[in-house]
Amino acid sequence: MLDLDLSMLNQGLLQETWNVELEDYIIDLAWSPDASRLAVVTVEGSVFLIDDLGSEAIFKRIGGHPGGGNSVAWRSDGSEFATAGHDGLVRVWHGRTGAALQSLDAGDSWVSKAVYAPRRNVLATAAGRHFKLWNEQHSPFYESSDHASTIADVAWHPDGSAVAVAAYNGVTLHVPGKQAEPRKYTWKGSSLVLCWSPDAKYIATGEQDSTVHFWYVKSGEDAQMSGFPTKVLELSWDLSGRWLATGGGASICLWDCSGKGPADRHPRVYEAHLGRLTQIAFQPDGNYLASTDVDGFLFLWEPLKHDKVVCGVALPSPPTCLRWIKGGKLAVGQQDGKIVVFELQSRAGGKRR
Amino acid sequence: MSIANTTVPVTVLTGFLGSGKTTLLNRILSENHGKRIAVIENEFGEIGVDNDLVIGAEEEIFEMNNGCICCTVRGDLIRILGNLLKRREKFDHIMIETTGMADPGPVAQTFFMDDDLRDSLSLDGVVTLVDARHVVLHIDDSDEVKEQIAFADVILLNKVDLVSSAELDQLEARIHAMNSAAKIYRTRDAAIDMDKVLNLGGFDLDRALEVDPKFLEPEYPFEWSGLYELQPGDYHFVLKPGPDPAMSLNFRSAESVTEAAMRDTVEKAVLVFSDKEVELTNGAVIEPGEQLSQIELESDQLRYILRVTKPGAYVLFTEHHPDEFEAFVTDAQGNQVEASFTREYKPDHEHDEEVTSVGISTPGDLDLERFQAWLRELLATQGPDIFRMKGVLSFRGAKERYVFQGVHMLFDGRMDRPWREGERSNSLIFIGRNLDREALNAGFNACLT
Repeated sequence: MLDLDLSMLNQGLLQETWNVELEDYIIDLAWSPDASRLAVVTVEGSVFLIDDLGSEAIFKRIGGHPGGGNSVAWRSDGSEFATAGHDGLVRVWHGRTGAALQSLDAGDSWVSKAVYAPRRNVLATAAGRHFKLWNEQHSPFYESSDHASTIADVAWHPDGSAVAVAAYNGVTLHVPGKQAEPRKYTWKGSSLVLCWSPDAKYIATGEQDSTVHFWYVKSGEDAQMSGFPTKVLELSWDLSGRWLATGGGASICLWDCSGKGPADRHPRVYEAHLGRLTQIAFQPDGNYLASTDVDGFLFLWEPLKHDKVVCGVALPSPPTCLRWIKGGKLAVGQQDGKIVVFELQSRAGGKRR
Repeated sequence: MSIANTTVPVTVLTGFLGSGKTTLLNRILSENHGKRIAVIENEFGEIGVDNDLVIGAEEEIFEMNNGCICCTVRGDLIRILGNLLKRREKFDHIMIETTGMADPGPVAQTFFMDDDLRDSLSLDGVVTLVDARHVVLHIDDSDEVKEQIAFADVILLNKVDLVSSAELDQLEARIHAMNSAAKIYRTRDAAIDMDKVLNLGGFDLDRALEVDPKFLEPEYPFEWSGLYELQPGDYHFVLKPGPDPAMSLNFRSAESVTEAAMRDTVEKAVLVFSDKEVELTNGAVIEPGEQLSQIELESDQLRYILRVTKPGAYVLFTEHHPDEFEAFVTDAQGNQVEASFTREYKPDHEHDEEVTSVGISTPGDLDLERFQAWLRELLATQGPDIFRMKGVLSFRGAKERYVFQGVHMLFDGRMDRPWREGERSNSLIFIGRNLDREALNAGFNACLT
């Protein structure tokens, strides 16, 4: 562990409210939409439901995926959540009690994702090359295996009308009900993570070959950002949809996507981490950006104002998941199985304008 | 917390379907008590596992966009190994079993091209199983077989009970000509000491290059040897004129009348064959020892005397196959003496191997800039044909040895321990397709200061 002096940094901005210690590497976690519960999957496949009681939390192990876990997501109404694992199944759980509701055959053993549409009760699942959409009764109504490799990531259009899939050979856009054939955004590379800009103008992907790709969703044109020291697994859009933050190394880059977009523009660069970034996340309802690295540091930035860290916390184990929820709560899952929840405090000395 | 230098060793197992990969894997899993091994399988075999993890995977080959046409990696391995690393504490070793038709190139390149894997794993070795009986059916026209042999650190010639020892010798010589850096073991039911296939230390080039430099040469300087059990007396090596006007031979003693004893003399004979020959004419006497005799072969009736003073085992090494001269050995009375064991070294004349090894072993110090320029140009033009390379180099002004290994255009090297007294020299080996031995030697030598 690096022994950095964080005393110069304002540590009051993020206050720890509670923490829990689970058994295993936290591979994914997700807030319920009302911020009262956390659903957690570990690398070995255990599924936990945590009730946030304000100053403390209670958790229970509600089941698991034999072989290992991959991801977790909530339905927008908070009534259920779904987990994906290495057992070929998507498991659907009751949002309040944690009771197992359904096991869905996702089509291949490696289930990478299960993601609900925003505002609609439709679940998208990806297993191997197979992609499926499930209705509210958990019946499949759309299927496609038109992907060049095991699907790495899935993300819904912000209005829920389409869903984008990242795999080898770029992005595939499925528009169920409107288009029989998915639309291809072809790029001879392996896309690992994908996210839509909030205005749905762009899809950004992080790539195995240490680049970031921008797709102009309507025209299908693309722009490639290179120069990252490592593959890029960290992407996050700011609230306004103008800025995309990228990781892929120890520096954070912020790309201006206003107007004609990020092509031919130089990014703003934010440097404070010494080790490789593990996560970056913009606040969904504010301008703070949180970032974590392999040495266990959690930094908070206000990147649109300046390039200085505004708060730093040293954690005992490298963070693996960084999840904001509206209201300034931040959950941090770690390699050692610990989950810490912070709450963003208003600035000491009152707000300055 | 992650601690540097605690990389998990990975063994890649290749070989055609039916060559015995699953048998070997089962042996490793059952014999290695106390170690937790994760197995990534591309081909479903019957694997018995108690304490270990078996993950099935489908081969997914990804091209990398780095301007290098041969740079492909295995996306499935990046994903699965990346996941295994998150459980790192629990595995001591990872085995990857590839499909029979898999190209080992992308597998090996995966360990160079992914950041997480490069930091946390080490490619311990590529172990290739060869079905000694059936491989001859594929070896000429299957790129996969050639590549699996070329990429190997260890080759198990398996199912040796199903072929004759002469066939095995021929096969081993062929394989050695293709990849002279690999250790070749003969096995039955893939039975082998685990230390010979696990924990090879892929980066430990001392081990890879501990082979005598002579053996980096892909071809033996003789085609045949025979071991004879002889009492004191004069024996006659009788020949008829053949395709060559002269031939070199070495007549020497061996420890015992066993095939192993004959094998033990091979290395010494190779050294003798690099000496200057002693020219002999018809009727000359040859005594056992370190002499390289060149016998003249232009008379109608040829007869050379092999003189033995002590009873024991003797080996005759000949530059050409005795059959080409209808040659045989008789005792003083003219009775033919049969060899107890014979071995052929030269692969079948018709095989002009496409895949070969070129070993370079030379003293002197290299000029860093010239060497880099030469290697860059070499890999840019011939990268797709160079399957593997490894070596230990001596750079001018550097106290330490420089060790490197590479796969196609990817290259990984670093300074190693300091040179010891009198040790400085360069040894490296290229294994690939259509390699130009002379050009490689000339190019390398031009980098010496």
